[in-house]
Amino acid sequence: MFDSLGQLGAAFVGFMNPHTLFNVVWATFLGIVIGALPGLTATMGVALLTTLTFSMPHDEAITVLICIYVGAIYGGSRSAILLNIPGTPASAASTLDGYPLARQGLAGRAMGISTSGSWLGTLFGIICLALLTPVLSELALTFQSFEFFWISVFGVVVAGTLAGGDPLKGYIAGFLGLFIASIGQEPYYNYQRFAFGFTDLAGGIGLLPALVGAYGVAEVLQAMRGPAVKTISKTLDSVVPRIEDVLKYWRTIFRSGAIGVWIGILPGLGEDAAAWSSYAAARRASKEKEKFGRGSIEGLMAAETGEASSVPGAIIPVLTLALPGSAPAAVLMAAMMIHGLNPGPNLMIESPQFFYQIIAMLVIADMSKLIFGFVLVRPLIKILLVPRERLMPIVFVLCVVGAYAITSRVFDIYVMLVFGLIGFVMRELKFNMAPLILGLVLGDLLEKNLTRGLVLSSGSLLPFFTRPVCAVLSALTILSIIWSIPAVNAALRNLLRRMLTKPH
Amino acid sequence: MADDAANLLPHERPAPPRADLVIAIFCFVFGTAAASLAYRMPTYTNQGGEIYTAPGLVPGLYGAVLVLLGIWLGVRAIRQGALKSREPPAPSARIDLRLALAAGLCLVFVVGLLGRLPFWLAAAMFVATFTIIFEWQPAQGWRVRLRRALEAVLLGLATGISVTLVFERLFYVRLP
Repeated sequence: MFDSLGQLGAAFVGFMNPHTLFNVVWATFLGIVIGALPGLTATMGVALLTTLTFSMPHDEAITVLICIYVGAIYGGSRSAILLNIPGTPASAASTLDGYPLARQGLAGRAMGISTSGSWLGTLFGIICLALLTPVLSELALTFQSFEFFWISVFGVVVAGTLAGGDPLKGYIAGFLGLFIASIGQEPYYNYQRFAFGFTDLAGGIGLLPALVGAYGVAEVLQAMRGPAVKTISKTLDSVVPRIEDVLKYWRTIFRSGAIGVWIGILPGLGEDAAAWSSYAAARRASKEKEKFGRGSIEGLMAAETGEASSVPGAIIPVLTLALPGSAPAAVLMAAMMIHGLNPGPNLMIESPQFFYQIIAMLVIADMSKLIFGFVLVRPLIKILLVPRERLMPIVFVLCVVGAYAITSRVFDIYVMLVFGLIGFVMRELKFNMAPLILGLVLGDLLEKNLTRGLVLSSGSLLPFFTRPVCAVLSALTILSIIWSIPAVNAALRNLLRRMLTKPH
Repeated sequence: MADDAANLLPHERPAPPRADLVIAIFCFVFGTAAASLAYRMPTYTNQGGEIYTAPGLVPGLYGAVLVLLGIWLGVRAIRQGALKSREPPAPSARIDLRLALAAGLCLVFVVGLLGRLPFWLAAAMFVATFTIIFEWQPAQGWRVRLRRALEAVLLGLATGISVTLVFERLFYVRLP
C-alpha cells in the first residue's frame, strides 16, 4: 500500500518539471481544439500525434497522447453546446441539453456543467483505473494462448455488436480489419502473404497510416461534403461551475461515472456509447424527466461525466489485457507498442512504474483540462468560427506528415489515402469504424495465440472451450452473435418477458 | 420508439437494402478470393513445420468468415426487399462535386506535388489552392475575391513554413 503510494508520488514528482508541464499545456490545449472542431476526432488527434511524437522519450510521448485524448473528448462539448454539432461523436449526447441551454442564454452555465462533469468523470475513472488495473493484471497473468485468443475474438465481436449501428456490419468491419492485419510477412516462416511481389506490401500495412487515413482523410472528405456551419451562440454568462449543480446531482455523477468506466472497459465501445448510456440511465432515474432534451442540467452532467470517465476506463484493458476499450485507446496502445512498451498483463511486471506514470499523466491532464475549461472559453469560440475551407487542407497536410513520419516510406502515404477512401465509403454505407480498428490492432495477437494454442494442444480445439475463462468468453462471444440476430433476439426477449410475467 | 430513432447517430441509421446487397456481394467475392489465395499458400509441413502454423491458415479462416457474413448480409438484404426496392434518391450533385474536388486536390497534392517540390512549397500551394477553390463564390465581387485569394496564399505559406519548421526542428520528423 505505502509502496504503491510512494511510487505514485514519485511518478507525480517526475512530471513536475517545466518541460513536461509545457508539453501538458500545449497538448491539452491542442486536444481541446481538436475535439471542439467538428470533423476532427480524438482518434484522429491521437493518431496524428503518435507519429509526430515518435522521437520523444516514451513517457513524454504517452503524456502528450493522453493529454490529447482527455482534451479532445472534453473539447467536443464546446461545439455541441455552441453549434449544436458534436465536435466528436462522444459529445453527441451533450447536444441534446447543451444546445437548448445555450439558446436559453445559459451557454456559460452549460460549459461550466460540462467542465465540472467532465473533470469529475475523468477523476472517477482514474480512481477505478488505479484500483482495478492491478487486480485485472494479476488475473490476466494466469491466462495462456487459449484465453488470449478468445479475448481478441471477444473484442472484435463485442465491438461489432455493441459499438452502435448494424452488428452484422460491425462483424464484417472487424474481420476485414483482422484480414488487413494479416497482410505481409507472417510470424513463423516470414512468408509474404497477399504481397503480390510488392516489397512495400510485404512489410505489412502500417497501423498508424491506416488509422490516420480512416479517421483523418475520411473526416476531411466528410467535412468538405457536408453543408457549412454558420450559426453560433454568442451570448455568454458565467462559465464557473456552480457547487449546487454538483451537489444536487451527485448521484447522477457517480452513476454516470460507473457506467462510463464499465463501457470504457468493454472493448471498442468508446466514449459515445458511454455518454448515451449514462444519459439514458440518468433520464430513467431522474425526477425531472420532462426537462431532458429541453436544457436539463442533469442530462448534460450525465453525458459529460459518462464520456469523460470512459477515457480511463478504456485504458484499463489496454494495460491489463492489451485490449483497447475504444478507438482512441487502440491508437494509444499502438503508440505504447511503438515506444517499446508491452501493454498487457506483463506490463505491471516489466515496467510497474509506467502504471503509476499513467495515473499521474491522467490526473495532470484532467487538472489541465479543468483550468482550460475556465480560461479558454472566448478563444475557443473564435477557433470554432474558422471556416472548414481553411482548416481541412491544413488537416490533410498534417495527415500526410503523420502517415510518413514513422517509417519515412512514401508507400505509407498511399496506404493513408486508400484507408481514407475505405473509411469514407464505409461510413457512407453505415459501417462503424471501431471494429475495423480493433481488428487491425488485435490481428497479430489473435493469430499468434490461435496458432500457439493449436500447436500446444496438438490441434485439439477442446482447450479453447473447456478452460474456465475460455468457456465463459466463448459463451459470451457466441451469445453476443446470437443476440444480434433480430429473430433470435425477439424470441429471447419474448421468452424472458413471459418468464418474468409468469404468475407464481 | 420515435425517441430511440431520434437518439440514433448518423452511422446508426440503416443503409438501403440494395446498398447492403452490394456490400454482401463484395464480401462474398473478397472472402472467396482471400480464402482461395490462402489455400494456395505453402504449408511448410514438408520441412517439418506444424500444419497449425501454415501461413494460410488464419487468413483463410478470415476469408471463410467474410464469405459467411456476406451470405448472411445478402440474405437479409434480399428479405428486406433489395431486389424489389427502387433506386435510392441521388445525392445532391453540388455535394458530390465538392467531394470530388476535395478528393482530387488531395490526390494531386500527394501524387503530383510531393517529392517534386520542397515540402513547404508543396504544402503552401495545396492549402492555398484548396482554400481559393472552396471559398470561390460566383456572387463575390473581384475585390473580395482578391482579398480572399491573398489570405489563402498567406495561409498556405504560413502552413507550409510552420509545419516544416515545427516538425523538422521540434519533433525531428522527416518530411516527405
